[in-house]
Amino acid sequence: MRPLDPVTSKQRVVYGLAFFVLFVALWSWATFGGHVSKTFLANPLTMVQEGVELLTKHGFLFDIGMTIWRVVGGFALAAIIAVPLGVLMGAYKPVEAFLEPFVSFARYLPASAFIPLLILWAGIGELQKLLVIFIGSVFQVILMVAVTVGATRRDLVEAAYTLGARDRGIIRRVLLPSSAPEIAEILRLVLGWAWTYVIVAELIGSSSGIGHMITDSQALLNTGQIIFGIIVIGLIGLLSDFMFKAFNAWLFPWRLA
Amino acid sequence: MTILKIEQVSRTFPARHGNAPTKALEPTDLVIGNNDFVTILGPSGCGKSTLLRIVAGLDRPTSGRVTLDGREVTAPGADRGMVFQSYTLFPWLTVRENIAFGLRERGVPQDERNKIADAFIRQVGLSGFENHWPKQLSGGMQQRTAIARALANDPKILLLDEPFGALDNQTRALMQEMLLGIWERDQKTVLFVTHDIEEAIFLGSRVIVMSARPGRIKAEIDVDLPHPRSYKIKTTPEFVQLKERLVEEIRTEALKVAEHA
Repeated sequence: MRPLDPVTSKQRVVYGLAFFVLFVALWSWATFGGHVSKTFLANPLTMVQEGVELLTKHGFLFDIGMTIWRVVGGFALAAIIAVPLGVLMGAYKPVEAFLEPFVSFARYLPASAFIPLLILWAGIGELQKLLVIFIGSVFQVILMVAVTVGATRRDLVEAAYTLGARDRGIIRRVLLPSSAPEIAEILRLVLGWAWTYVIVAELIGSSSGIGHMITDSQALLNTGQIIFGIIVIGLIGLLSDFMFKAFNAWLFPWRLA
Repeated sequence: MTILKIEQVSRTFPARHGNAPTKALEPTDLVIGNNDFVTILGPSGCGKSTLLRIVAGLDRPTSGRVTLDGREVTAPGADRGMVFQSYTLFPWLTVRENIAFGLRERGVPQDERNKIADAFIRQVGLSGFENHWPKQLSGGMQQRTAIARALANDPKILLLDEPFGALDNQTRALMQEMLLGIWERDQKTVLFVTHDIEEAIFLGSRVIVMSARPGRIKAEIDVDLPHPRSYKIKTTPEFVQLKERLVEEIRTEALKVAEHA
C-alpha cells in the first residue's frame, strides 16, 4: 500500500464485500456468542426470519412503497421549485441579493422541528409527510444550484456573447448545460438526505411506511424487525444512488469522454 | 467594406482595496481597414488584451470610442468574432455543434448549419472529428475548432487574443500557416494580439508595437513581405531584419516591466 496508488476494479469489489462480511461476523459473534442480550440486539438469523415474516405476513412491501412514494413525491416537489429558483439566483445577481439571505437562514431550520407545526397545519396525512421532505430539501437545493450556476466559467459566457448569443441564449445554451451535471449531482446528494427526513416524519404520527413499522417494532421490543427496516432503507438508498449515477453518466457523456 | 476605428480609447481600472487606480491603456488611436491583417505586439501587461476586449465589447473604455463601419461598439456581437487564449469550446457540444453555435443562435436551420459547419471543419483540417467532444481533442485541435467557430459566424472582423499562446512551438507554427492560408484565400479583416515577435511579423501586414504599462502604441511597422507566405520566409534577410528591429523595440519595454516589477 502506497499513498494514492490505485486498486483494480476486482480488488475494489473484493475489499468492499470483505467489510460487509466482517461486519456480519462481528454482529454474529456479539449475538450468537451471548455477549449482547437478545432484548437489545437480535442476531442476524432472527433478523432475516423477522424480515421474511414482515414481507409475507404484515404487508411490509406496502410500507416500503409508501415510503418511496413520499420521498420521491416530496423530493420532486422540492426540485421543481428549487432548480428554477436556483438558476435564476445564479444567473441574476439582484435576484440572488434578494433571496440569498433568507434561503441561507431557512436552510438551517431543521425539517424535523417543523413536524409538530406541520401536523397542526396539514394533519397527519400524506401532505404533511411530503411537506417535511420538501422543507428539508428545497432550501438546500436552491442554494447549491445558485452557487453552481453562478460559478459558470466566465470565458465560456464571454465566448457565447461574441458569437452573438443574447441573455436568453446565455442562460439556455451556456449556464444550463454547463451546470446540468452539477445540478444532477446536487439532486442525488439531497435525495439521500430526503431519506432521513422521511423516516423521521414517519416515526411521528404515521400509520404506514418503514418509519411507522420501526416505531411499532420498538413497542414490541422486536429489534430484528427494526434492524431489517434500517437495512431495507440502506439498500434502497444504495440502489437509488446507483441508478442516479448511471442515469447521469448516460445523460452527460461529454464529461466522461 | 469594413473599417474599424479606435478613437482615443483608454482604460483605467478603478481603485480597489486602497490601491491606486490602474491605468491599463493610454488614449489610443488605430484604424484598421478592409481585409487588413494587423498584429498587436507587446510584453505582457501592456494593455493589448484590454484593447482587444474593448473592441470585442467585453470591456468598456474609460474614454474614447470604437466604431465598426460607423456604428459605435457598446456590447459584444456576432459581427466581431473572437478567439481566446484559453480553451473556450463548450464542453457539452461536439466539434460540429460548437462551430454551429453562432448560427444556431441566429436561427439558421439545422441542415444549413451543418453544411456550413462541415465546410469549416474541412477548412481547418478536422474532418473525421465532427462528433468528438472538446475533451477528446488536443490543444491545437481545440483552437482550430475555436477559429472555425468564430469564422462560421462570418464576422466583419476576427479578433484573436494570443490564440496559440498555450501551444507548443511546432503546433504553433502549423497553426500560423493554417490561419494565414485562410486569410490569403478568403480575405478577412483580422486583429491579432501576441507577444511573439516572429508570429507578429509572419502573420501581419502591419505590426503595432505597444509599450509597457500604461499601454500605448509605440511604433507601427508595415510588413512588406509578399503573399502567399510560407514558413520558409522566416529565414529570409528581410524577415530577420524586421525581427531585429522589433526585438529592440520590445526589449526596452520588457526591461521597463522588469524594473518596475
